[in-house]
Amino acid sequence: MQRGTIREVLATVPLRFWLAFGTLVVGVALGWLTRLLARRVLRRIGVPDAIEGTAFERTAREFGTSTVDILAAIAGYFVFGIAVFAAVAVAEIQYVAQFWNAVAGFLPQLFFAVIVLIFGVLLGDKVELVVSERFRGLKLPQVGVLPLMAKYSVFYLAVLIALGQVGVATGALIVLLAAYVFAIVFLGGLACRHLLSAGAVGAYLLLNQPYTIGDEIRVGDVRGIVQEMDLFVTHVEADGEEYVVPNSKVFTEGFVRVRS
Amino acid sequence: MATLRDSLGDFVDGVDGLFLFSPSAAYYERFADADVPRVVVADENDVGAESFVELPLEFDNVRDRLRFGVEGAMEHGFVAAGDTVACVISVFEGGGDADSLVRVRVDEAMRSGIYDLFTDSRAEPGVIRDVFEVAIDLGKKGQKGKPVGALFVVGDAGKVMNKSRPLSYNPFEKSHVHVGDPIVNVMLKEFSRLDGAFIVSDSGKIVSAYRYLEPSAEGVDIPKGLGARHMAGGAITRDTNAIAIVLSESDGMVRAFKGGTLILEIDPEGY
Repeated sequence: MQRGTIREVLATVPLRFWLAFGTLVVGVALGWLTRLLARRVLRRIGVPDAIEGTAFERTAREFGTSTVDILAAIAGYFVFGIAVFAAVAVAEIQYVAQFWNAVAGFLPQLFFAVIVLIFGVLLGDKVELVVSERFRGLKLPQVGVLPLMAKYSVFYLAVLIALGQVGVATGALIVLLAAYVFAIVFLGGLACRHLLSAGAVGAYLLLNQPYTIGDEIRVGDVRGIVQEMDLFVTHVEADGEEYVVPNSKVFTEGFVRVRS
Repeated sequence: MATLRDSLGDFVDGVDGLFLFSPSAAYYERFADADVPRVVVADENDVGAESFVELPLEFDNVRDRLRFGVEGAMEHGFVAAGDTVACVISVFEGGGDADSLVRVRVDEAMRSGIYDLFTDSRAEPGVIRDVFEVAIDLGKKGQKGKPVGALFVVGDAGKVMNKSRPLSYNPFEKSHVHVGDPIVNVMLKEFSRLDGAFIVSDSGKIVSAYRYLEPSAEGVDIPKGLGARHMAGGAITRDTNAIAIVLSESDGMVRAFKGGTLILEIDPEGY
């Protein structure tokens, strides 16, 4: 009697549902495996060390998890999500399938958008850390703006890519980005042009060393012994006065090596 | 009945300043209520002291360390000639905080120029420290187990180059090696086999090796018994604004000259 009921139940449910159920179970297993695998791979390639100290990692730690765990979980859910769609397809549920097909197209994009966003936030934090580390020796309070600017630039790019991924119209934001990049490149170039030209000449001077420390040279109306040369300037000393000559001047005016 | 505490109390009676050499933060705070100004002498101001003298080298010789601290404080105006200060300093290694109290009377005669050597030379203090470290390292290890000598002329490189001539091809020509670069110790160790002086610029660039110095040796006052290397090093500092750091081949000491006089003597074995 009992045995008969189970067989009846088995018979009433169509085979395709059983297949769908099987697909679902395999999907859960695969998702779990992906999660474990992703976590190990991320650890192995040194992600935890690379993102140590970033704000995102700290926040994640506060909630008792870590960035690696979050990323691994997302990857796991992604695989599981694919399995769900496969199951729906196998079960051939018509009215559901129509709805899910639309979602299925969208979900991978959403998935990548989230990954890009997390990556962008991490990268931004890291860039901020690196830049502020670079400027730590410089005791100038205003310099604190630079790391923040670098950080938010990276955030902005990440948000832009993520929005582009899910298909939101980002035209206006891209125009803004273009204006920003233009401002940095153009105005930066304008502001640094003397340094740039001095640096270019300095590279030549340092590589070829037409004159070196100890030589007596004349640049324009400055004449003296070269005391020091670096990428941007040459120190020329005469009678206790040390002239700091920009390297670009050495090129535009030419120099004379005094041999006597 | 005078206890030991009462008798030794004389040591800190009427002092005008308290010098703490490389104190820990907790040790520094212990003196927060002291009624005399505190001066910290350390390699880094990590206790946030108001009066601070930077120690470029952890001088093994306690006298040198004291001198450096007191001269630095005089230079900064923390103390003046005529003051009496108490110095809390560590003589032996590894004892945690300081183990000795020294009462020092500050006066102009104390000035040996040791502070001046580091901070008021043409070359940057960091460069001078790096050259000292290279010389000490060279003195400790020698070359292939044998003691070596070396002569570094630091700062005012243009003038020094004009007061010297090459003994052979300059191995550092068209190179951009700075003292303090990681590979430099090995490089200098190899080149120390060559005779002649190393010339280092104000910013630490090694300009040349193999230089024969040609200063006029008049009026150079260096102790008798030191050889030609010291004489050449001492003399060039009289003729130019450079300083000379000499590693002696015979007794292994590192000596520094400025303005033609011997300023500092360091035994590499102590580091």
